Amino acid sequence: MKPGESGGCPLGVDIPGFVRALSENHVVETLAKIREQNPLPSVCGRVCTAPCETSGLRNDQDDPPGIRALERFAADFGKPKFAPRKARIRAGKKVAVVGSGPAGLSAAVSLAQKGYWVTVFEAFDQPGGVLRYGIPSFRLPAKVLDEEIHEIKLLDVEFKTNCYAGKSINLTDLNTQGFEAILLATGAGVPQLQDLPGVNLGGVYYGEEFLLRLDQARRQREKDTDLRLGSRVVVLGSRYLALDCARAALRLGKQVTWVSPEAFEDKKVIPEESVYAAQEGVHIEALVEPLEIMGNDRHFARAVKCVRLDYADTRATGHWELTPVPDSGFVLEADSVIVAMGHAPNSLIKRDVPQLKVNDDGTIWTDPCDSTTSLRGVFACGNAVTNTTAVVEAMASGKKAAEHIDAYLKNNK
Amino acid sequence: MDYKIVSKQNFADRFKRLDIRCPDIAGKVRPGQFVKVCPAAGEASIPLIVFEIDPLRGIIAVIVQEADPAAQKLGAMPINQSICSVLGPLGTPIRIEKKGVVVCIATGIGIARILPVARALKQAGNKVIGIIGARTRRELLLEAQMRIASNKIFVATDDGSREYRGLATDLLKRVMGEEKVRGVYAVGSVDMMETVCGLTEALNVETQVILDVPMVDCMGLCGSCRVKVGGRTVLACVEGPAFNGHDVDFAELRIRVNAFKEKDRWGNLKSSFNPRENDLRILTKFPLDIQRS
Repeated sequence: MKPGESGGCPLGVDIPGFVRALSENHVVETLAKIREQNPLPSVCGRVCTAPCETSGLRNDQDDPPGIRALERFAADFGKPKFAPRKARIRAGKKVAVVGSGPAGLSAAVSLAQKGYWVTVFEAFDQPGGVLRYGIPSFRLPAKVLDEEIHEIKLLDVEFKTNCYAGKSINLTDLNTQGFEAILLATGAGVPQLQDLPGVNLGGVYYGEEFLLRLDQARRQREKDTDLRLGSRVVVLGSRYLALDCARAALRLGKQVTWVSPEAFEDKKVIPEESVYAAQEGVHIEALVEPLEIMGNDRHFARAVKCVRLDYADTRATGHWELTPVPDSGFVLEADSVIVAMGHAPNSLIKRDVPQLKVNDDGTIWTDPCDSTTSLRGVFACGNAVTNTTAVVEAMASGKKAAEHIDAYLKNNK
Repeated sequence: MDYKIVSKQNFADRFKRLDIRCPDIAGKVRPGQFVKVCPAAGEASIPLIVFEIDPLRGIIAVIVQEADPAAQKLGAMPINQSICSVLGPLGTPIRIEKKGVVVCIATGIGIARILPVARALKQAGNKVIGIIGARTRRELLLEAQMRIASNKIFVATDDGSREYRGLATDLLKRVMGEEKVRGVYAVGSVDMMETVCGLTEALNVETQVILDVPMVDCMGLCGSCRVKVGGRTVLACVEGPAFNGHDVDFAELRIRVNAFKEKDRWGNLKSSFNPRENDLRILTKFPLDIQRS
């Protein structure tokens, strides 16, 4: 199977090849084979959406072959004890990568392997972006991520944390510092602000906010934490963010109900993870749409007013759509509500760089052939361009952008 | 980057002034912007308004109110120690233009937030009337700096230990009667800002308020600082913290601010739930008519 084909790995990992190597007990070689295409194998082994498993490498009647688990095994146990450090020939050109999420990291690795001096700018105090701050530690431990980033640092990629490109340092400043190409991989970490009535009440968090606050509370465990969560938590949303929030809240000893407007099968998470959540004790209310968050007299969330949905062909057009079931409204009591109904593209870089051309939906405009934005020498990739894609697709897009930057810098001599 | 504390000063009980060396930020901060400071690795970070900058020496001055553990830790750091991270400048700078007579009104810690605005307004050629207030004389911050920054100053304290006894908004009412005020800049508690906006709206005077909403990451990634301005939900850390006061929905703002203040409400929510039992509360039915196409 060729890279990029449907069913294969978006990154182009040679799946049959590595599975064969693993079945012959060559774990180190397996990891080397994966690393040729995938710079973050232990991250992907944990949080990848596994498009390779759901469609077509093997017959549909089979169970999923568990490629993700195999990758995780190879990544965890295949590390060579003494890795030879290869001397690299440098092209001598400098490239700046803004954002150290999955797209930024994979682009940085590809560029470093091509011989460029890469500097990654990150606004938070540790690199990792959404991998560190948007995925809870039970799914992706910080230690695993640190090890991966250490591997990347061995490629002479420089990380500049606490540096907010656009505010702390302008893109023009980057040009004067000698960076000949700039890659924007700013991601889509901004919550989609909802129009749901009552979303601004006390005790209502957005998913991103909840995970960040949880992270902070964890860090200062012994002290008075700032995480204020009632004993009954309702999580609204249907994607990974909602699932992560529900499982994280459950680990705090709360009673969690996951309200999802999509059916159990249609949810955009792989079934394995939903099953884990159900087994852990998350109460799943699928096909239920929240209508309103009701507040008490002190303006804290008290309950969520919901209605059940079902597929119906109300207009007799042959299209079965989700419609509210009559008389199925109910009130779900809640002390805290977590709203995790999707991301919006990062609007910050556009605010700081007004010359950048932006699409109607807020994503950065790029030329699909060569990832260039409307500014010369500025490229973009990942969720800043295509909103709401999975980690692995963002990584693939970063890798593609790295190739485009390589071509641009070679032609620009 | 090494962010060293070069000077420190204790103000009233809970307030401390820190001068931090960060040359890459000092040249860029404009009035109304803030920085995110994380005292030590693994601590929470706090947004702090920069009230004084020295671009030549590369030093910014902030005031810390020791309210939460991270702020206490920052306040306890000695001179010459390095801070883990300072990120900035964040937020949108406040709009400064020549208007004529403007009033800068602030209470409590808000005085530190209004000071750079007052300075910039005076530099732009306005006649600045400062009105500052606090509970007692001891808690009146930066009075001397504010006196220099404004052409005329009025001071109000709740207990009358300094000049006028009463609220700062009473003084504003008096000033608005005497002078032809063209613009008002207000920082303070939600109640105070609401009163100011009520006063100025009646006289149709342009008002800017700088909001203090609870923030987590200060870069617009979490949505914790959402406020309703002009019927639109915006993030105070990105589009603010300064907004047109007449557009701000103060009722919503009060809910957002109080949500993180009411400790007692969260204290009695100890979870007694055992996930194994899975006893689901159900769910009061109610008639619901949904009109949708």
